[in-house]
Amino acid sequence: MSDVPPPVPPGAFSDVPSEEGDGAPRPLRVMVVDDHPMWRDAVARDLAEAGHEVVATAGEGRTAVRVAAAARPDVAVVDLQLPDISGVEVTRHLAAADPPVRVLVLSASGEQQDVLEAVKAGATGYLLKSAAREEFLDAVRRTGAGDAVFTPGLAGLVLGEYRRLASAARRADDDAPRLTERETEVLRLVAKGLTYKQIAQRLVLSHRTVQNHVQNTLGKLQLHNRVELVRYAIEKGLDRDD
Amino acid sequence: MTGGAQRRAAAGRRPVELEVALWRAVAVYRVLALAYAAALIAKNSGGYARPLGGWAVLAVMAAWTAWATFAFADPRRRGRPLLAADLAVAMGCLLATAWVESPEGIAAGRPTLPVSWVAAAVLSWAVRGGKRLGLTAAAVLGVGDLLIHVLAGTAGGLEDRTFNGIVLLLMAGLVVGHVVKLARDAEARLARAVELEAATRERERLARRIHDSVLQVLAMVKRRGGELGGEAAELGRLAGEQEAALRALIGASPSAAGTGRPDEEPGRRDEQTDLRPLLTAHSAATVTVSTPATPVPLDAHAAHEIEAAVAAALDNVRRHGGDGVRAWVLVEDGDDEVVVSVRDDGPGIPEGRLEQAAADGRLGVAQSIRGRVRDLGGTVAIVTAPGEGTEIEMTVPRAPDRRRRS
Repeated sequence: MSDVPPPVPPGAFSDVPSEEGDGAPRPLRVMVVDDHPMWRDAVARDLAEAGHEVVATAGEGRTAVRVAAAARPDVAVVDLQLPDISGVEVTRHLAAADPPVRVLVLSASGEQQDVLEAVKAGATGYLLKSAAREEFLDAVRRTGAGDAVFTPGLAGLVLGEYRRLASAARRADDDAPRLTERETEVLRLVAKGLTYKQIAQRLVLSHRTVQNHVQNTLGKLQLHNRVELVRYAIEKGLDRDD
Repeated sequence: MTGGAQRRAAAGRRPVELEVALWRAVAVYRVLALAYAAALIAKNSGGYARPLGGWAVLAVMAAWTAWATFAFADPRRRGRPLLAADLAVAMGCLLATAWVESPEGIAAGRPTLPVSWVAAAVLSWAVRGGKRLGLTAAAVLGVGDLLIHVLAGTAGGLEDRTFNGIVLLLMAGLVVGHVVKLARDAEARLARAVELEAATRERERLARRIHDSVLQVLAMVKRRGGELGGEAAELGRLAGEQEAALRALIGASPSAAGTGRPDEEPGRRDEQTDLRPLLTAHSAATVTVSTPATPVPLDAHAAHEIEAAVAAALDNVRRHGGDGVRAWVLVEDGDDEVVVSVRDDGPGIPEGRLEQAAADGRLGVAQSIRGRVRDLGGTVAIVTAPGEGTEIEMTVPRAPDRRRRS
């Protein structure tokens, strides 16, 4: 982007996120859902120091869902282990809210099935709690901008899930979401620990394109999950009012 | 809470089910034997010394059958008084034969009035108290059989048939008593196993929470320590290592490996090993292992060979990359093959170095990895360039008959 001439008419690059490059990220309204007070406070403090507004904190899932409706956060940082309803359930509620809340899952143990379920339920980011402070703040910023935040671990899970769905569909003679060759390629590189920048270099793509590919892999999975839920509801007659 | 409730329910409910089934069987036997006795009395009553007496005995047997069916169905009534009464009624009906039947009939070896109906009492005793009580009841009734002949004055002409009847009664008492004991033991074992399983599940649930808490604290120490710097940074680094080690341990536990893929054919499970826990065990602060969420079944030999190859690769990264070099392991599960890649962000290997090493006769790590994978019928691709790290990709086919979905 260094070769872009200085006088840029406002709005000319409206599809390019404004925070890229100019170093002044837009402050976000963030909610922190974690049952460990220690983590809740530390995460809230880090967010506040980075200039974000922590509009709510919650130690329980049901409280989180209730509070979110009033606090209207842009981003919710959600732990998967909660005392009442699971973080997956909270994610489902928040992602279905109007306007939807973007969910970044921050988990200590990274139980694979839980992480995958959370992502299918609508979380767009996942990070281990052992991630460094800067890594975390960057993840919150990207989640707020609508980008998908992947760890190599999550990429491995998502790749595996597409393979599983494809196999299951082949046996049941059914439809399943599929990755394009490019998406598979990108996701594999993410799983092997390459940064988006490195992937962009290796595949000769723009950073934005890499980002979009990654995002699409999540979007298709979440859409499929919603379709499956609706189909299940219709099969069980849950759509009828009686 | 729920675990405890389940355990109680499991322990309390199961024996009752067996008990109920056994008593029901005895009741059914009692009714069938009554019908048989009724048929024989109807057929033989013409030859009885006191035909009305025969019908009276049948009426008593029918009444007792009705009462016993009702009474034995109620666990509170199944005590000694009922058992004693059961045996007494059986004995009474048996001995009544001597009074109803003509001495000629007895001497000719005609069956007793209740015929096999008395065995119901032996069964009751056996079900209640095992083979000891079963044998006791059978012996008492056997004495009754002999008494008939004494009372009728026909003891001199004892028939084989009488002894056969006594032996059959004793056998019934012995066998039923023994089988009941075995069934009870099996049921108790099952109840214990169910209880143990529930306890294990509960423990695992608690362990998950505790592990999570410990991980939280370790991650927190690592994070804060890194921010504080100095000695705290060293503490933070140590905490980070332990955090990674504990996470690897949890990922490698069999309980974590057992979940997922509900559609998997269960028959294949035991011959196959899940590759994931073997590899996640290698996670560390600098090593990330990414796998599918569902098991990656491979035969045990192949799984262990792949693990050894990955271990060699990671070891090589540590040895040549130096501190701070990170590595990523990716496991991909295809229908016909499993792909495992190991990538590091180290200095990479200059072009020709691998070939040079091989030419010098030094069988480097690459050779050992290639050898292992080739033996499994797979292929290895090594991509490296100075400054770009090294990537080793191993592709191992599933044996044709082991293909998951063919």
